[in-house]
Amino acid sequence: MVTTNKGSKLFTHIALICLSIPAALPLIWMLSTSLKAENQIYTGANGASFSLTSLIPSPMVWANYPKALSTVPFDQYLKNTLFLCAVSVFGAVLSSSIVAYGFARINFKLNRPLFGILIATMALPGQVTMIPQFEVFRSLGWYGTYLPLLVPAFAGAPFFIFLLSQFFKTLPEEVAESARLDGANEFRIFAQIVLPLAKPALATCALFQFLGTWNDFLGPLIYINDTSKYTLAYGLQQFMSAYGGQWAQLMAASIVFTLPIIVLFFFAQKTFIQGIATTGGKN
Amino acid sequence: MAAKHIGKMVVAVFATILLVWFMASPKKPASDAVYRKYPDRIPVRFWHMWSAEWKVVVDRIVDRYNKSQNKYEVLALSVPGGADTKFLLGAMGGDPPDVMAQWNPVIPTWAEGGMLLPFEDIMTPQERRLFDTQSYPIVKRVGQYKGKTYGFPIGLQVKGVFYLPEAFEETGVREFPKTWEELCRVTQRMTKKDSKGNISRLGFMPGSWAETSSLFGGGIYDFQKDKLTLGNPKNLDCLKNLVSLRQRDGYDSVSRFQSGLNSSSFSAGWPFIVGAYAAVVDGPWRVEQIAKYAPNLKYKTALVPAPSGGLPGAGLGSGNFMIIPKSAKEKQGAWDFIKFWSGLSQPTVAAEFYVWGGWLPPSDAVANAPIYQKYMKEHPQFATFVSAIKSPMIQAQPPVAYQVFVNDTIQKYEDLALRGEISPTNAMTEVQAAVSKEISRRKRLGYDE
Amino acid sequence: MSPKLRRELTGLAFISPWLIGFIVFTGLPFLRSIQLSFTRYDIVRPPKFVGLANYQSLIFDDQVFRNAAVVTLKFAIISVPLGIFCGVILALLLNANVRGISVYRTVFFLPSIVPTVATTAIFSWILNPQIGLVNGLLAKCGVTGPAWLGDPKWALWSLMFMGLWGVGNSMVIYLAGLKDIPNYLYEAAIVDGASPAKRLFKITLPMLTPVIFFNLVMGVIGSLQYFTQAYIMTNGGPEDSTRFYALYLFDRAWRYADMGYASAMAWVLFLAIVVLTSALFGTQKRWVHYGS
Repeated sequence: MVTTNKGSKLFTHIALICLSIPAALPLIWMLSTSLKAENQIYTGANGASFSLTSLIPSPMVWANYPKALSTVPFDQYLKNTLFLCAVSVFGAVLSSSIVAYGFARINFKLNRPLFGILIATMALPGQVTMIPQFEVFRSLGWYGTYLPLLVPAFAGAPFFIFLLSQFFKTLPEEVAESARLDGANEFRIFAQIVLPLAKPALATCALFQFLGTWNDFLGPLIYINDTSKYTLAYGLQQFMSAYGGQWAQLMAASIVFTLPIIVLFFFAQKTFIQGIATTGGKN
Repeated sequence: MAAKHIGKMVVAVFATILLVWFMASPKKPASDAVYRKYPDRIPVRFWHMWSAEWKVVVDRIVDRYNKSQNKYEVLALSVPGGADTKFLLGAMGGDPPDVMAQWNPVIPTWAEGGMLLPFEDIMTPQERRLFDTQSYPIVKRVGQYKGKTYGFPIGLQVKGVFYLPEAFEETGVREFPKTWEELCRVTQRMTKKDSKGNISRLGFMPGSWAETSSLFGGGIYDFQKDKLTLGNPKNLDCLKNLVSLRQRDGYDSVSRFQSGLNSSSFSAGWPFIVGAYAAVVDGPWRVEQIAKYAPNLKYKTALVPAPSGGLPGAGLGSGNFMIIPKSAKEKQGAWDFIKFWSGLSQPTVAAEFYVWGGWLPPSDAVANAPIYQKYMKEHPQFATFVSAIKSPMIQAQPPVAYQVFVNDTIQKYEDLALRGEISPTNAMTEVQAAVSKEISRRKRLGYDE
Repeated sequence: MSPKLRRELTGLAFISPWLIGFIVFTGLPFLRSIQLSFTRYDIVRPPKFVGLANYQSLIFDDQVFRNAAVVTLKFAIISVPLGIFCGVILALLLNANVRGISVYRTVFFLPSIVPTVATTAIFSWILNPQIGLVNGLLAKCGVTGPAWLGDPKWALWSLMFMGLWGVGNSMVIYLAGLKDIPNYLYEAAIVDGASPAKRLFKITLPMLTPVIFFNLVMGVIGSLQYFTQAYIMTNGGPEDSTRFYALYLFDRAWRYADMGYASAMAWVLFLAIVVLTSALFGTQKRWVHYGS
């Protein structure tokens, strides 16, 4: 939707700014907490009422950051996490898009029943499949390695397959049809015509897979037995303890933990803007 | 044409999978020599649940152990959150740790299933005699199931009263009350409300029903007769007392006050530190936290007083304990490490670990060690808890396989009663009904023979 | 090769990565969990067949189960449409071609990437009855706010409110959907003199329906399995008002070591989700527009 009108632009700005406040305030609290001394976070819990000025930490405890970073082997965990993210994003996006194309654009006999199964696999809670799943990976000899965290990505994720197939279904049939008449095979249509058109959707999948792997705590915890092989999500858990965590440091660590994704998203959303340019060639 | 391209693609995918496999697979077994400080020693794999500042303490103890001898190397792995799941899966996969530190109520289920090694099997007669004669009664209750010890305590906990002497003196109370009734009575006047009617300071926040009932002569479990005792009328007395305590300050006001504070369960935000309670029941670890975050706070501790006709010195103890899986590869090493940490072999050395963690000692041998005595001198309020844990009246969680269910059920109905939603009598009836229903369901399924 | 056979094989070839993965990684655990639902299984000892006993006590004899099902349904019925509504509105706004749009987008997306441990900490401040943000603002308007997470009447709503904060997640999907709408449709409409409102209802929303449908299905599946926030923040309380199905299932599976019972619960949930999603797929023809 192209907004040209000046008035509507102003309206959009006002609406976005109004909505930004509730979205951003919690984040500001997070930032402010990360800069507070541990015993300043809930200042005046003793009957004091709410005040916005309490958001400004005094004194600013910048030391929370280096302290948080030195609590865990941050660079080691970052390296591990990035490795897992890179491989699983590549695998999940590649396989999911191929599979989604098959479900969305090829009318074969088992299409519908198999798609039903695909959706159904998301309906069973992981709590009860965890043990049998573990048994499968163990019998493959993958316990203690990264493989249980990586290889399944190459089978495609039902969430992405479903999402991408929704996108592929909306693409006009005519383009593919004319390519087919020119003698292009199905894989070429997929790779050269459909994929470039679905860039925003592919970027979305990549982002989500990255996020999922980035945040996954239980997977590495269960399958990895070696401290040096853990990920950032595990490192973050180190700031919580049974008798109450160190919240300033937890917030500092959380911000450091989130920062790479913010940067990633900032650049990834450019793809959405590019979407406009490419759809120009769609008609 | 199509088939050819798809063939290429499949080959590409499989090549990638193989590549990943190659990159992700460890070249050597998990306990790789690269990460080991003493590669020529026998590795002892140790999992624990501590994190944050506690992990630092654990690492120091492990380091001490590794330096104290030259046969074993303990390799510690912190497993915060999901620890039970990881342990069960590891044990199922035939690759459990050699030793694990735990505090979750896992012993009944895991011991019943034959997953844990009873310590009687690994202790020498001499060690066993030492353990039997030295340990406080609670030590054995924490780790026992059907007459055998499956959990070896390495630090105990029991609750006591933290109070502000100033708040007591303001209302003319010079000495800490000797009975429960008196404590309840004198703290009534210490509750303060602000202009809007919100509680700004609560006179007395007692412990949970499970922590308090044994003081009334009740309790969840009879360790002599080996059975649940939920039906004991003293239990109802206790709940009635707790509810009336809540009622006098107003159900709604207190639960509002509580939820205003509860969510901030982090160390420095403990409500007592900011003066939100005149008296509150809590654990010994708070002594260290006060020293750290509010060193100028004027406070004292005391044993939770029993009601007249009750059982002074009773309470609910708990502890951190070590377990050795039956399928562990290095049981002797695990046991050697446990002896070192718990203080069974050298109590004067281990006393320092108890000081680091702020844990209560398992025996006089540890408590009387110079370093522990010194700690108690520096933190006089800590001594209350050390004297509390010695008491033979201290109870432990019921050693039954459905323990967690019992605790959850009690908590649920206790909460309802404390909110004034149901009467204490009904709450106790509901608890018993729910528990006996679960027991009979388990019987029908053949769980507990 | 006949064209028909060729199509069959091409289709299967395309979906083969998933098919192989399903057979190797997912299929077996699936079958195994059905089997476990007919056993008593405390994870430690081998499972023993008990027939329909788990299902029986689940359906006839478990008050907590019934309550959990009701709470979860209530949550799904309210939070899913609410999430879709807010997500679409937000995406429409963020699709505008105004200065600084990438900053706005990042701000709205941020909440959904903040780690859960941090989110829960943030919300324990926002919803704190005494010093929290929400009640602080309400007090400025002269209203005494409730105890939110500590109040059985409000706890479920508080969690929905928290969920709304993370709406940036589905917003991204809608945004990708909006970017996928070909420009020529709008150009043609502008030439025809269609008003912005007409363009919204005749082009944008219909073209967005495949993505809305996706979020609807995933929302139903996700909310019926809602777990993490409730586990950390309320753990079912107060007064079981936030005892979600998955929370009770987790308790049964891992805390009470009753995996057989939990598997039976999981399969009841599975059936419910399958019935619901099939119904949704059935309505698809009536309102979801594929192709132009």
